Amino acid sequence: MPQPSDLVIETRALTKRYGDAIIAVDDLALRVRRGEVYGFLGPNGAGKTTTLRMLLGLVRPTSGEAAVLGAAPGSPDGLARIGALVEAPAFYPYLSGRDNLRVLAGHAGVSEDRVEAVLSEVRLSDRADDRSATYSLGMKQRLGVAAALLKDPELLILDEPTNGLDPAGMAEMREFMRSLGEGGRTLVLSSHLMGEVEQVCDRVGVIRDGSLVAEGTVEQLRGRAGLRVRAEPLAEAARVVGAIPTVDEVTSVDGVLDVAVDTAQAPAINRALVEAGIAVSALYPQQASLEDVFLELTANGGQRP
Amino acid sequence: MTRGVTAELLILRKRAATWILLGLWTLLGVFFAYVVPYALDPEDSPVGLAEFLPESLAGTLIAGFPFFGGVFALMLGVFAVGSEYGWGTLKTLFTQRPTRLRVFAAKLAALGIVLVPFVLALFAAGAVASYVIAQIEGAAVTWPSAWLLARAMGAGWLILAVWAALGVLLGVATRGTSLAIGVGILYALVIEGLLSAFADSVSLLEPLTQVFLRANGYSIAAALGASVDSIESSGPGSYSGPFVDSLQALAVLVAFIAGLVVVSAILLRRRDVA
Repeated sequence: MPQPSDLVIETRALTKRYGDAIIAVDDLALRVRRGEVYGFLGPNGAGKTTTLRMLLGLVRPTSGEAAVLGAAPGSPDGLARIGALVEAPAFYPYLSGRDNLRVLAGHAGVSEDRVEAVLSEVRLSDRADDRSATYSLGMKQRLGVAAALLKDPELLILDEPTNGLDPAGMAEMREFMRSLGEGGRTLVLSSHLMGEVEQVCDRVGVIRDGSLVAEGTVEQLRGRAGLRVRAEPLAEAARVVGAIPTVDEVTSVDGVLDVAVDTAQAPAINRALVEAGIAVSALYPQQASLEDVFLELTANGGQRP
Repeated sequence: MTRGVTAELLILRKRAATWILLGLWTLLGVFFAYVVPYALDPEDSPVGLAEFLPESLAGTLIAGFPFFGGVFALMLGVFAVGSEYGWGTLKTLFTQRPTRLRVFAAKLAALGIVLVPFVLALFAAGAVASYVIAQIEGAAVTWPSAWLLARAMGAGWLILAVWAALGVLLGVATRGTSLAIGVGILYALVIEGLLSAFADSVSLLEPLTQVFLRANGYSIAAALGASVDSIESSGPGSYSGPFVDSLQALAVLVAFIAGLVVVSAILLRRRDVA
C-alpha cells in the first residue's frame, strides 16, 4: 500500500451533483502515486473533466474530500506546483503565444526566462510572436502544454491533450507526453484514446458514470495472456488441451479455443495436439487489448468478469 | 501582486477594444462638448461662448462623464472580465498560483489604471479644442487652476470607475459580454434615465433617484463648474436634478464601487468555473 506521503492525489467519496438529477462524479476514491503516469480513462460524459476541475479548485465538490500535493484543491500552495491543461487550451486570441505565457507567468510569479524555455520545449519559438488566434489546433495544444509546464510543476494534469489533432500531431504529442512523465514528475492523463494511454501510462483508472470501476496497471487491466488455438476436430482438441496439467481453463468460442495458460507452453500444447492426431491450423498468443477492457468496463455494469 | 497587475495591464493594453473605446470616447467627448454646440451657434448654448473657452474646461468636460463616459467605462469593465468567460481564460488564470480574489484584485487594479488615460486623453483633447475656439473667437486664454483641474480629473476617474465596476459585476453575473452590455445600457437609459425624468412629477421617486449614479455623478460635475443648464439639455444623459451635496455624492459613488466590487468578488469566488 502506498504511504499517504507517496500520494500526489487522494480523493475520498468525492461527489459532484448538478441539481437533484445529475451526478457528474459519484463517491470517487482516486489515488495517484508520486512519479507515476496515471491514465484517467472514461467515455465522454463519464466525469473525467469534472473530477479534474475539482482537483484544480475550479469546481466545488458537493461532498467528499480531495487533497492534491497535500493541499486543498485550488489553494495557492498546491497550484504553485501543478500545471494543468483542462479540456481545450484557452488563451487570449489577440495576444501572441509569448504574451499569453507572459501573462500566466506574471500571475504565477514565474520568471520570464521560463517563458522562453517552455516555448522552446514545445517547439513554438518560431511562431511565438504570432497571435494565438492564428495557431492551428495542434499549436494551441502545444501552447497549452507550454502553459502547463511554466511552473516546472511536480504534477502535470493533461485533459484530452490529443483532442482534435491529426495522426501526426497525436504521435508527436504522445512522444512528448512520454518525455513529460520522465524525471520523477507525476502526470495525470485524461483520455478516451486507448492507444495513447496504453503507450504512455504506468497505471490506469477507468471511470464510468462518475464512479471508478477499475484501477491497475495496463497489464493488470488487460488480464493474463493466453493462447488461441484453431484445430480440427475442435471438441477433441479441447479435451486434449484441457488434460494438460499446466492449462488452467479451455473455452470454445466461435470455432476457436481460448486457452488460459502461460504463453511459453505453446510448443507443448502444439506437440500434444499433433501427437493426438489433431490438425492444428493456428496457435498464437492472445491477450485482451486495453480497448476491449475499456469497452467491457464502460458498456456493462462496470465490472470485469 | 505587482506582476499580476502588470500581466493584466498587458491584457488590456494589447486589446484593440481598449484603444477603440479610448479613441471613440475622446473623439466623441470633444465632438459633443465642443464641436457640435460651437458649430451650431455658441450663443444657443445655455451659458454662451464662455462654456467653450479654456477657463470652463473642467466644468465643460466633467459634464460628459456621468452618462456618456459612464457607458464607455461600463463597456470597458464588461470587456475586462466578461470576455474571460467567452475565451475560457478564467480557468487558465485560476489554475496559476494566486487565489481567485488576488487575480480579481489584479484585474481591478489594471482596470483602474487604464481609466487614467481615458480621463487624461479627454482633458488633453478638450484643452486643445477650447484653445482653438478661444483663438478663433479672439478670446483671452485663461486656464482653470491646477487644483480645479486635478479635482475634475479625479472626479472624472471616480465616475468612470463606478461605471466600470458596474460593468465588471454585469460581466461576472452574466458570464459574458453581450448581455452584460445590454443590461448595463438598459440600466443607464431606462432605469436611471426614465425614473429620473419621472421623479419631476412623481415625488415618491425622488429619494430613489438621489442614489442613482446619474444624480451623484452630475452633482459632483455641477460642483466642479458644469453648467446645470447644459446638464439638463444633454440628450439621453440629461438630468434635471435634484442635485445632492458633493460630499454626499462622493460618498455614494465610493459606496457604489465598494458594493459592486464586493458582490462581484463573492460571485467570482463562489461559483464554479466551467
